Amino acid sequence: MTPLLVHVIHQAFFGGIAAAGFGVLFNSPPRMLWLCFGSGALALSVRTLCQDFDLSLPAASFIAALSLAIADRAWQRTQSPQGSVLAAVGCIAMVPGSLAAKAFMGLFTLVRVSPKNDIVPLFSTLQNLIVVTFTLVAIGIGLCIPTLVYPRSRDED
Amino acid sequence: MTIIQKGLERPPLAAVARLSLTCGRMLLEWGANARVVHEAISNIARGFGCDSAEAFCQHAAIIVMLRRGDEACTQMGKVGEHGVNLRRSQNLQETIYRVARGEVECEDAQREVDGVTRTTKAYPIWFVCLSTGLACSAFGQLLNSDGSAFLPTLVGAATGQWIRHLLFKRGTNLFLTTGTVSFVAASLAAIGGRFMGSSDLELAMVAAVLLLVPGIPVLNAQIDVIEGKPNLAAARALRITYVLLFMALGLAMAQSIFLKIPHP
Repeated sequence: MTPLLVHVIHQAFFGGIAAAGFGVLFNSPPRMLWLCFGSGALALSVRTLCQDFDLSLPAASFIAALSLAIADRAWQRTQSPQGSVLAAVGCIAMVPGSLAAKAFMGLFTLVRVSPKNDIVPLFSTLQNLIVVTFTLVAIGIGLCIPTLVYPRSRDED
Repeated sequence: MTIIQKGLERPPLAAVARLSLTCGRMLLEWGANARVVHEAISNIARGFGCDSAEAFCQHAAIIVMLRRGDEACTQMGKVGEHGVNLRRSQNLQETIYRVARGEVECEDAQREVDGVTRTTKAYPIWFVCLSTGLACSAFGQLLNSDGSAFLPTLVGAATGQWIRHLLFKRGTNLFLTTGTVSFVAASLAAIGGRFMGSSDLELAMVAAVLLLVPGIPVLNAQIDVIEGKPNLAAARALRITYVLLFMALGLAMAQSIFLKIPHP
C-alpha cells in the first residue's frame, strides 16, 4: 500500500470514529450510527486527498463538505421525509476545533507579550483565526449549496 | 403534497398557533436551523388549512403568525438552552408530517408533541461518556498524537462529558460548565499522559476538550446566515465565541499547571 493510501485510511477510520462518537452524543438513532461513521469517513477521505493535492485546509474542507452534502441530498430522495442530518454529523469531524482552541489561547498569549517581541505570536494567532474562520465558512457553504441549488420540493414530503 | 383532511374538523387558530410554537421551540432547542423550523411550522399550518404562516426565530424567543380566511393569530414563546438531540427532532418531525398529511387532530398532535421528551429513548449516560471519549481520542489521532495519549484522552474526555451531564442537570450556567469541563478534561488527559509516558501532552490536552466545540451550532449559524437569517446567526455566533473562549480559558489554566511540571 502506498503511504498516501495508508494515510487516507487512517484519517477515514478515525474521522468515522469521531463522527459516530458525536452521533451518540447527539442521540442519533442506533441504526444511523454506521451511516454517521460512513459520512465522517467520507468527509475525512476527501479532505485528506484534497490536502495531498496541496489544497489549503479551507479549500479541502469545502470540497469535502460539498461532496458529503451532494451525497446526502441524493440520499434524501430515497429515505423517509425527516430530512437527513448525516451531512452535518459527518462535517463535525472537519470542524477545526483544535485550531480554534490554539487561536483563542494565542489571544491569551498576546496579553502577556511585550510590544518588542509580539510579531510571531500575533502572526500565528491571526493566521489560526483566519484559517478557522475560512474553514468554517467553507464547510457551511459546502453544506448549503446542494439544498440551495436543488431545494426540497413539497412532493418529497 | 396533497393534503387529505380525513373528516377532521378545523381546529381553533389559537390551538394551531400553540402547536406550531411548541414544535418550533422544540426544534430550535434540539439543534435545528431556522429553515427546518420554518418548514415545520409551514407544514403544520397547511395541514390545518391556514392560508399563510410566518415564523420569526430568535435565539431566545420564537414568534408565529398564522392566517386563515379572515382570522389571524400571533403567538410568542420563549426558547430554552439550545442543544442537539437528533432522535427527539426526528420523532417530532414524524408527528409534524402526519399533521401535514391531515392524519391527526390538533389536540392529539399537541399531546404527542408534548410527550416527545418523555417517550424518546436515549443512550445510557455511561455509553454517551464512552463514545464522547472515543470521539475525542480519535480527534487526537487525526491530529497525529502518539498512541500512548489515546487512553488518557479518552478518560479525560469521558469524565468531562460526565461532569457536563451532571452540571447541565443542575442547571449550571453554560459558560461556567464549559470552563470547568475544559479544565478537568485537560488536566486528566495531562496526568494520564504523563503516567503513560506520552510525548504529546499538549496535543492530548487539546484533544480531550474537543467535546466542547459547538459543531452543530457552528454549522447552523453558517446555514442561517447564508439563508438570510442574520439575527439568529449573529446570536449563535456570539454564544459560540464565548463557549470557545471559556473552553480555551479552562485549557490554558490546565496547561499552565501541568505543562510546567518537569518530566521525572
